Amino acid sequence: MSRFSPSHWFSSVQKQSFAISFSAFMALLLTIALGCLLLIIVSRGATYFWPATIFKGEFRLSDESAPVKAYMQIRNEFSRSGSEVIWFKYSNRDFPYGNQAMLEATQISGLQAADDGALITLTDGRTVLAEPLSLQSAEREERALEDYSLMQEEVQRITNQIEVIRTERLSDIHQQLSELDMRNVAADAPARIRLSRDFNKWQGLISELEIQRNQYRLTVAFADGERFDLALGDIDEIVRSGRLSYWQKWQATLTAIGRFLTEAPKQANTAGGVFPALFGTVLMVFVMTLIVTPFGVMAAVYLSEYAPNNALTSVIRISVSNMAGVPSIVYGVFGLGFFVYAVGGNIDTLFFSHKLPAPTMGTPGLFWASLTMAILTLPVVIVATEEGLRRVPEGLKAGSYALGATKAETVMRTILPIASPGIMTGVILAIARAAGEVAPLMLVGAVKFAPNLPIDGEFPYLHLDRQFMHLGVLIYDGAFHSQTDVKGSSMMFATCLLLLLVVFILNLLAVVMRMRLRKKYQQG
Amino acid sequence: MLKLFEHEHLDVKRLSDEETAIEVRNLSLQFSDKPVLNDISMRIPKHRITALIGQSGCGKSTLISCFNRMNDLISGCRYQGEIILGGRDINHKKENVSRLRTQVGMVFQRPNPFPLSIYENVCYGLRLQGVNGRRQLDDTVEQALVDAALWDEVKDRLFESAQVLSGGQQQRLVIARALALKPDILLLDEPTSALDPLTTLYIEELMAGLKKRCSIIIVTHNMQQAARVSDYTAFLHQGRLIEYSDSDSLFTMPHKKQTEDYITGRYG
Ligand SMILES: Nc1ncnc2c1ncn2[C@@H]1O[C@H](COP(=O)(O)OP(=O)(O)OP(=O)(O)O)[C@@H](O)[C@H]1O
Ligand SMILES: [Mg+2]
Repeated sequence: MSRFSPSHWFSSVQKQSFAISFSAFMALLLTIALGCLLLIIVSRGATYFWPATIFKGEFRLSDESAPVKAYMQIRNEFSRSGSEVIWFKYSNRDFPYGNQAMLEATQISGLQAADDGALITLTDGRTVLAEPLSLQSAEREERALEDYSLMQEEVQRITNQIEVIRTERLSDIHQQLSELDMRNVAADAPARIRLSRDFNKWQGLISELEIQRNQYRLTVAFADGERFDLALGDIDEIVRSGRLSYWQKWQATLTAIGRFLTEAPKQANTAGGVFPALFGTVLMVFVMTLIVTPFGVMAAVYLSEYAPNNALTSVIRISVSNMAGVPSIVYGVFGLGFFVYAVGGNIDTLFFSHKLPAPTMGTPGLFWASLTMAILTLPVVIVATEEGLRRVPEGLKAGSYALGATKAETVMRTILPIASPGIMTGVILAIARAAGEVAPLMLVGAVKFAPNLPIDGEFPYLHLDRQFMHLGVLIYDGAFHSQTDVKGSSMMFATCLLLLLVVFILNLLAVVMRMRLRKKYQQG
Repeated sequence: MLKLFEHEHLDVKRLSDEETAIEVRNLSLQFSDKPVLNDISMRIPKHRITALIGQSGCGKSTLISCFNRMNDLISGCRYQGEIILGGRDINHKKENVSRLRTQVGMVFQRPNPFPLSIYENVCYGLRLQGVNGRRQLDDTVEQALVDAALWDEVKDRLFESAQVLSGGQQQRLVIARALALKPDILLLDEPTSALDPLTTLYIEELMAGLKKRCSIIIVTHNMQQAARVSDYTAFLHQGRLIEYSDSDSLFTMPHKKQTEDYITGRYG
């Protein structure tokens, strides 16, 4: 009978090889899945920067509505239940700053590349798809498109004038007024009247200049011939992708990547750059590393060199390794409750009581975020450092003691340098974990939009109490902005790609450092 | 005069205090209640080479580690008795162990240079004492390397890693490292057991030369080596000092049967 039981169907060797091939298969699947994920992120993230072809086409948004003729840019094509679907962005009279639509390919007629169409990006991040026709100068005379850069220079000059008045005159008056406020000067005091008169004078000048600036305009035509005009001062750039050569497209891509990395987000994080988020992410990780490394190393040195070999030490050790498994959001809640409200709140009542009830430290900020992430990654550093410390040969420690070194001297001069590759490994893992973590950060300081960078020219230059932007939060935000954003190349994917690159580069740096340390302190 | 002094045979049983480098009085030692050394008393002469021989596990390393209190690092180690060195009992609670270890240098069985440059290896002890002057360090490093008969081989690559040296060179480097502190006593725990015969000979010559500078205690499993280099020899067996006298008489006419059995190879 037992000949037919399943355990006899395979010999034990066969069973083993089955198990092995099964795990190999699973590993392969995982690798493929990972590869696909990377492919999607890289392709959708990178194509975001490529100047997309501008098409012209005619379509109906619904069966009842009138046909629309528009310039459009295709964001993605895919098939849905057998038919080709095109997801695109277009501009027309109803939606001069662009609208998105998803239609079956058969519903769009006369779809063809239109090299007279241009993508006009405004300084606030909005875009217009239209054909530039002509320019108008302040004297209301028509000028040819070729004068575009000349006229932009004129506009820039006016903008600079306005800026000069704002910074040199108005801010001065503001300051004097607020001084008067501080001294409780009456509202009808002559000084006040003089100041507000000055203020009105300069403000008037500014309005005049702004009106003058607004007279420089660009007239464009939508695909159906409808005219529309834009103030030159609002235009950031005009790209006619149809007229760009292959190399010019590459150039445009590189410029776009450069601007993506150096500019601030616009239009609620759907356009513009990610510089503040990139900066915030790197700074947060950097501050976290500065906190976690000494504490992790000290804890590990204590555990493996100083702590008595008893039950309590084992309990501590086990808890440390288990801490690595606590869900990260729990750390976020802990950071918010303990660091921000308890510690920060107490710091406020002790040192910043003159500013209360406005919190100084008792509010989420970069420092609390770094501290929370440091706690989150502490176990990783401790475990890896302990591993490194265990590798230090007893003979070397004995050699150090035999030369009259105390325990502390031996730790500092022999044990830690030799364990440094192990410490580096821990720091690498900590960085990789911290740079990718988002959920806890949103509780303790990372925000969708922060008006200021954590570093600026204002004393004390590094503002660790400020809230900051984070690439991960930007991605999270992007994913909820529109369902369509996740389906095609978008800023969100570009940000994903950047986050991957940041983690990769941080890791690479740490790996290189570890290799150099290994070489320096290798055991012969 | 010096020649005479060198050949003069001191009787280790009747050493005066001036002639004694270390005096051990009733030393017993346990590792977590397992007795390892049992009531050892002996006087180790100054400026002589004293060899410790005995079966593996009889407590030779443990005994010499008592002289610079390296056993303190082992948890569960307890000891009783006195060790008089420079007129004081080094087993006393108030003994400054770091200073003691600079006076009593130790070289281990396996060469253990730090993963630093040759120069920094020799400097290690000096830097701990706060010596940082370039000139003083240079001079001491050179002197120590010359004393350890290594200078000629490494003088051109002082700042290269010590890890690339051969085993014999590494062993001389760690001797130089200990000598840089100008110790009164040098403890050598089987310094040549990992080395080839030629290098061994080299280090033995080195020891004979170092005798003028410090008192040397060497643990060895090699009877010929003990007979060759040492002036005095102590035989330990299961934590007890069985026989202790000048090497010539111990190896030619041992008084105890256990000693005879051991040196003629009847123990394993
Ligand atoms: N750290 C330690 N903890 C517990 N017992 C130890 C420790 N070190 C040595 N012992 C024990 O003490 C005894 C003496 O050891 P020791 O190293 O002094 O022997 P030895 O004479 O030097 O031997 P060998 O010639 O093999 O080096 C041995 O029985 C050993 O098991
Ligand atoms: Mg030994």
